Parts: sequence; C-alpha cells; structure tokens
Amino acid sequence: MQKRYNWLLLALFLPAFSVFIAFFLLPLARLAVESALGPSGVKIYLAAITTPRYRETLIYTILLSVGVTFVTLIISSVAGVFLTRNEFRGKSLLVSMLTFPLAFPGVVVGFMIILLVGRQGLIGDITKWVSGEKLVLAYSMAGLFLGYLYFSIPRTITTIMASAEKLDRNLEEAARSLGASPWRVVKDVLIPALVPGLISSGAICFATSMGAFGTAFTLATDIDVLPILIYTEFTLVANIAMAAALSIVLGLITWIALSVARAAAGNAVAAAG
Amino acid sequence: MKQSSSALFYAQLTFTLLVCAFLIVPVVQSVVAGLTENFMVGVKSGLTLRWFVKVWDLYRDTIFLSILIGLTCLAATLVLGVPAAYAMVKKQNRWTRLFEELLVTPLAVPGLAIALALIINYGSFTGFRRSWTFILVGHVIFTLPFMVRSVIAIMNSVNLREFEEGAASLGAGFWQRFFQIVIPNAMPGILAGSLMVFTLSIGEFNLTWMLHTPQTKTLPVGLADSYASMRLEIGSAYTIIFFLMIIPLLIAMQWVAKPRKRKFVMEKLDHSPTATENSVLKPIVATSVPPSRKDEARTMSGTSLRLVNCAKTFVDGTHALETFSLEVQAGETVVILGPSGCGKTTLLRIIAGLESPDSGGKVFFDDEDVTEIPIEKRNVGMVFQSYALFPNMTVAENIAYGLKVRGVEAAKRTRRVSEMLEMMKIGELQNRRIDQLSGGQKQRVALARAIAVRPKVLLLDEPLTALDAKLRDLLRVEIDSLLRSLGITAIYVTHDQAEAMALGDRIVVMNIARVAQVGAPREVYFEPKTRFVAEFIGTVNRIRGCLQQGRLVFPGGSVPLPESSAARAGENVDIELFFRPEHAVLAEPGKGHLRATVVASFFMGDRTRLIIEGSSDDYLTIETKGIQSFQKGQQVEVSIDPTALLKLES
Repeated sequence: MQKRYNWLLLALFLPAFSVFIAFFLLPLARLAVESALGPSGVKIYLAAITTPRYRETLIYTILLSVGVTFVTLIISSVAGVFLTRNEFRGKSLLVSMLTFPLAFPGVVVGFMIILLVGRQGLIGDITKWVSGEKLVLAYSMAGLFLGYLYFSIPRTITTIMASAEKLDRNLEEAARSLGASPWRVVKDVLIPALVPGLISSGAICFATSMGAFGTAFTLATDIDVLPILIYTEFTLVANIAMAAALSIVLGLITWIALSVARAAAGNAVAAAG
Repeated sequence: MKQSSSALFYAQLTFTLLVCAFLIVPVVQSVVAGLTENFMVGVKSGLTLRWFVKVWDLYRDTIFLSILIGLTCLAATLVLGVPAAYAMVKKQNRWTRLFEELLVTPLAVPGLAIALALIINYGSFTGFRRSWTFILVGHVIFTLPFMVRSVIAIMNSVNLREFEEGAASLGAGFWQRFFQIVIPNAMPGILAGSLMVFTLSIGEFNLTWMLHTPQTKTLPVGLADSYASMRLEIGSAYTIIFFLMIIPLLIAMQWVAKPRKRKFVMEKLDHSPTATENSVLKPIVATSVPPSRKDEARTMSGTSLRLVNCAKTFVDGTHALETFSLEVQAGETVVILGPSGCGKTTLLRIIAGLESPDSGGKVFFDDEDVTEIPIEKRNVGMVFQSYALFPNMTVAENIAYGLKVRGVEAAKRTRRVSEMLEMMKIGELQNRRIDQLSGGQKQRVALARAIAVRPKVLLLDEPLTALDAKLRDLLRVEIDSLLRSLGITAIYVTHDQAEAMALGDRIVVMNIARVAQVGAPREVYFEPKTRFVAEFIGTVNRIRGCLQQGRLVFPGGSVPLPESSAARAGENVDIELFFRPEHAVLAEPGKGHLRATVVASFFMGDRTRLIIEGSSDDYLTIETKGIQSFQKGQQVEVSIDPTALLKLES
C-alpha cells in the first residue's frame, strides 16, 4: 500500500521543497559565494573577525545575547512554573498580558523601551521626581538589554509553561513523600526535569537576540550590534562582500547554538527517561 | 508549613506581577499617548482621536499592504505546507528528513541574512524586486516552517495512520483519505498554524525592512517611519492600531490551543448504567433481525479465503512471519491466537491488504488472486483495536462512510445506516460525536461501520482488548452471535485464549513468527502439539521420570501408562509427560499416584487451586472442588487420569 502512493506523496512534497530551494537554499549559497567575491576573497572572514570595529561588535552582540538569555531564563522559569502550579483569580488575564508582546515586531519593542526609559519615559519622570536626576537608559547598552528582555520574556514564558505542564506531578509528590523539603524538590526534581526545556528555549532566545534588528534599529543606540552593522555595511558603505560575510558569520553562530542545544537537550531527555 | 508556602506564593506572585508591569506599562503608556493632545503635557492636555485620522492619512496603504501580504502568505503556506507536512509524516526517508532539518534553518538564520541573500540573488529582476511579491517570498520562507511544524505535530498526535487504514478498509482511495480524513483531523494544527503565519507576517520587520521599497511599505515599516518622525503621539496612535489588529489574532490562538473538554461527557456516559450497561446487555442480533437480514446474511457468507506461502520480512530484516499457508471456508470464523509480537497482526494485515506478503506469497478471496489489490479495493471489513473511528464525523456518518465512498446513493445509504443502528442497538447514538461514546459503544459503531459495506471478509484486530473485563465478556457473546447470524467469513486476532476458544471455529496458534498449531478449539486444548501450545492455552503440569514396566516412576510416586499410550515405548528411559490441572484429583491416603506438599492454596470460590511440590522439578498445579481448606506444608495425595497424560515436543 505504501509503494503505490510514493509518487502521489512526492507530488505533495515537491512544491514546498522547490520553493524552499529556490528562495532559501539557492540565495544562501549565492550569499556565501558573494562574500568571497570581494577584493580580499575568502580572507574577508579573517577580516571580519580581526578588524577591531567588527570584532568588538561581534563580541558585544554575543555578550549581550548570552546575558539576555540567562536573565530571561531565570525570570521566565520562576514566573512560568509559578503560573502553571497555582490557580488564582485573574490568572488567565495575567498570562495573556505576559504573552501579549509575543507578536510585537522589534520596532514596536524599541518604541516600548523608549516610552519606558527614554527621554520622556516613565522611569525618567519617576527618578526625576525622586532624586532630581533624570534616568535615561534607552539609548545605551542597558536600554538594548531591556529591549531584548522585553521580546524574550513572553516567548520563553510560554515554552517554559508548556514544558512545566508536561511534568509528572507524581515525581514531586514522591520526593515529598520521601521527606524532601520544597527547596530540595525544586533542586532535585523540578529543575532537572525542566533542563531540556530550558536548554532549547534558551538557545532560541539566544538565536533571536543575535539576529534581532528592529529593536536596535528603533533605539538607534551608540553601540552597534551585528545586525545593524550588516545593515550599514550593505546600505551605507555598500560593502556587499563584507555584509554577506558578516551575515554568514551571524547565521553560523546562531545555527551552531541551536544545534548544540538540540543535541544537549536530546541527551538530557534521554538521561531523564 | 502552611505559612511558609503562602509566603512563597505571594513572593512569586509579586515577582510575576513586576515582570508583567515591565511588559504592560509601556503598552498602557502608548495607548495613553496615542489618545492625548500633547504627550509632553499629559492627559490634562485633553483626549483626542485626531492622531488616528493622521495615521489613516499617512499610513493606511501600509496597513492594506500588510493585510494583502499576510493573506497571500497564508494561502501560499497552506497550499505548500499542508501537503508537504502530510508527505513528511507518511514517508520517512532521507529526503523528507533532510527537509525537516532544513525547515529549522529559517529559524536559525537571521531574517537580515535571508533578506540579504534574496536581494543578492534576485535583486537584479527589477520588476520582481520592486513589487510586493518580493516581500511575500521572504515572508513565505520565514513562515512556512511554522505551518509545516504545526501540522506535523497535530498529525503525529492524532494517530493518523489508524484513521487512514480505517478509511482505506472501507474503500477510500488516496485523495478521498487526504481530503475527508487527513485534512479534517489535522484542522486544529492547520488553524493554529494559519493564525501563527498571519500574525508573524503582519508583524515581520527584520526581513521586510531590507526587502521593502518606497512603494512597498508594510505596517511595521510604517511604524518605524512613524517612530522616526519624532511625533510620539502619531507613533503611539499607529501602535494602538497595530495592537487592535493583533489582539483578535492572539485571542483566537489561545482559543485554538485550549484543549476541548468533551471527555467529561464521555465519562458521564460511561458511569450511567442506563446509557451503557443496558444497551450492552441487549443482545445485538438474536432478538430483532428484520426479515431482509437473512438475505443479507446469504450474500455476505459466500467468500472463502486462501493464503498460499505467505511470509513477511520487514525492510530492516526482521522476519515478522515465516512462510505459511491457510485455507478458510466460507462463513468460517478463524481466530489467530498468540502472545504479543508473534506476528498475528502482520498476518491479519496481509489478509487486509495493508501489508503485502514477500514475493511468492499469494492471497485468494474465493478463486480471485487479491495479492496485488490494495485494501480499498479488496472489500474487507476491518475492526481495529483502537476502533479508528473518525473523530470528525458523527456515529451515523462513520457508519455511512464506506457506502459514501462506494458512491451508494443517499436514500439507500440512510436506509442501510438505520438498519445497522437498529441491529447494533445504537439508534439513540446516531448523532453523537465519537468522543462522546463509551468504550463499548465505540466497539459497536466500529462493528457496524465494518459490516455496513457488506464485506467479503470481516477482519477483527484484538477488538475487545481496550475494554474492561466485564464488558469484554458481554461483547464476546454479542460478537459471537453476530458472526453466527451473519454467517460471514471472519478472521479474529487476539492474545486472549478464552476469547479464542469461545469464538473460533478453528484456532491458529502462533509463536514467534511461526504457526504452532491449527485446529478446532477442543483439538488445540486437548491435543496440543507442542509444549508452547499447551502452556499458552490453559495451565499444564510437567512430570519427569523414568519408564519402568509400563509405569512412569518419579520421586513422589508413579503413574501407570495405558496400554495404547505411545509414551510406553522403551524401558528405563527418561521421559517428560504433561497433564492439565483438571485431570488430577485429590485421593484418599494410600490410594493416590503421588504424594506432595502444599506450597500455596488459592481459594477461587467454586474451587481451590493448589500449588504442590515434591514429585517433580517444577511445582504442580491442581484444582479441587469442595469446601476443604489447606495449610501450607500439608501432605496431600493426588491421582492423575492416565489417559490424559500428554507427550509434547518442546
């Protein structure tokens, strides 16, 4: 029965596959080729990571993304587990509010940060009222950090809530029946069980932060991140080869992060089972 | 303890509320800013809607374009993604796995890089570059993975294969299955994917900013423009419009993701004695068979079945079934019995046409060679272990499905369905959804659906396994009387020996891909050919001893062997003989064949089962009627019916 329909299945599969090849794989391959067609050839990749301006941006971007990932994971696990484990009035409203920014494009996130900690921001008004000094964070590294947190938290909370819901509550009850204190339960049962989910949502958080363009674009900070650098190389400097090379570097970093996480989370799942 | 846990609760709640404030305060600020005359002055400057008018004048084209791109992108991902997802679920090979891997990459590769790649590769086609379809292509590549993964997830979770096999057994071809079974059952995933794709497309900025031209600006591009225009109020008003657009989408997404709570209804039905138990107790066929049924029975009974040299080796080299031939008379019920993993389901699937036998094997219905005929053309009725009832159809629609596929006209279809409903005593359930049925009711619908098409052969794959013990007994009686009254040729697969004995005209006992014995129930029970058969069907005791002067002598005693017994051949040879518990009785002291010590006794109501030791390597099991109770360590004497001693191949 299987063999008979192979051709039909192929016919169902081919359109998506060919669109994907034509508009994703082929252009990406072209991008890779184009990066090496500049005056410096393949050495452009060496330039991309040794030229101080590029290297600093790369390091900044990675540090920012790693920092955002860690803080996001901590905040989201506490809130996510709390929300799956407790029932109270208004919970669904709280969950909807926490996940509402999920659909915001980066530009809107940037605008939100301007409203919160910008020149006319709420925090600025409050700090001015309290201490006389206006606190403006939006256009510095701190503003960028807050912006990245803003778009990372809703996504991460939803995935952590999903994996917390799948946890077997019997495991925790068993630990408690054996005399474990609430903290021990968290340490010995809850966190190990959440680890695969944390690794994969952390990796996605890292990848999105690395590639985020809109937030930094709106905040127009003095510190460049890699996507902004690529954009300026391409549009302002018209250094197409460098823009392509930096895109490839960026793509490689996020792709490696995701694959490593997938391998690690897979192993962790197997070990837990 | 109570106090510390409530302190913990409030600490966590406060924390979560703070996180929420961080996310929502700026949203509220933007809403206020978009509605006030002058944001710098605050709300006291007065509320106004004029910023919305301004946004409408300046940016309405971007809103329209975003909706256009969003909808086209949705259409494209549906047309491309849903069939591809189905193919990937059905066919797991190198190519589909590669594609599955590749589908993750648009999530890993930043939008900026995708956009750059598209511009470098296709930017020279200026007509394309300047039109909105250029943005569309980027959006399709970016959103397609979400659609495919959402659909694959749902397809993997609904046991699509069983539903499809069920539809195929009723005669549905490839496209009928795809549109009538696959798509409706994947609907929640398709819906979730669609909402996701549309929302992502509406809000996409990373790719779009690179791909847009002054003539093709989308909503987020317009937002970026409005933020750069330094009028905070206009930016805010525009942001409010964006919020208003995505809020319904987000609410719809939550609604789709929420699990439906129909199970509750089912449990209620399961526990109500009037709904389930009574209808189960009504015998299906015996009471009210309409006169026409007799004719039907005749038309259904006429097919004999023949398997010739059928074997099955799977692609990975496992032998699921050794070469095997079987003839089944028209109207006969043959039960295939064996432990799990013995190949009995493979055998059934070969008969059904869901698997093909290794080359050389042939399947005949009457004299017609059906080996090459797929299940949907074989005209078999199949009842699956999980029933495989289509959740997207009602009870009546399920029963009618096979007729519909065969193009039976509506009036005739309705008539046949109501006959079936009446015959199965499930008339009151006809408009129920499948998830509102109890296990026993599902079982009846599955039977009705299989019989409604008047199949040549009825195939039942462990149909009672999913039910509890009491219901199983009742339904066994029902299926038996149904099979007898229809006179249909039936193949029944089970691992339950009691079911096999009750239902089968003949039993095929299987063990590890091999047929151990074929015979009538009595034959298989009383004259098992191998130790496996004897042990699998009922309990059997083994005694090992030495043959001396026509007696079997063993540590705890000796038994005379009858003159005719084949086991008598030889003198002073060691042999093993077997007997069933019911062929031994307790004897008066001094009169038994063997003496033994009670190890354990189990009182079973009508009888007591004794486990004894002392006369053989193994414990022996015997059964005794009567009211006597036994203590551990008590000495008993047992006599065995010598004619019931069996010699078995191991």
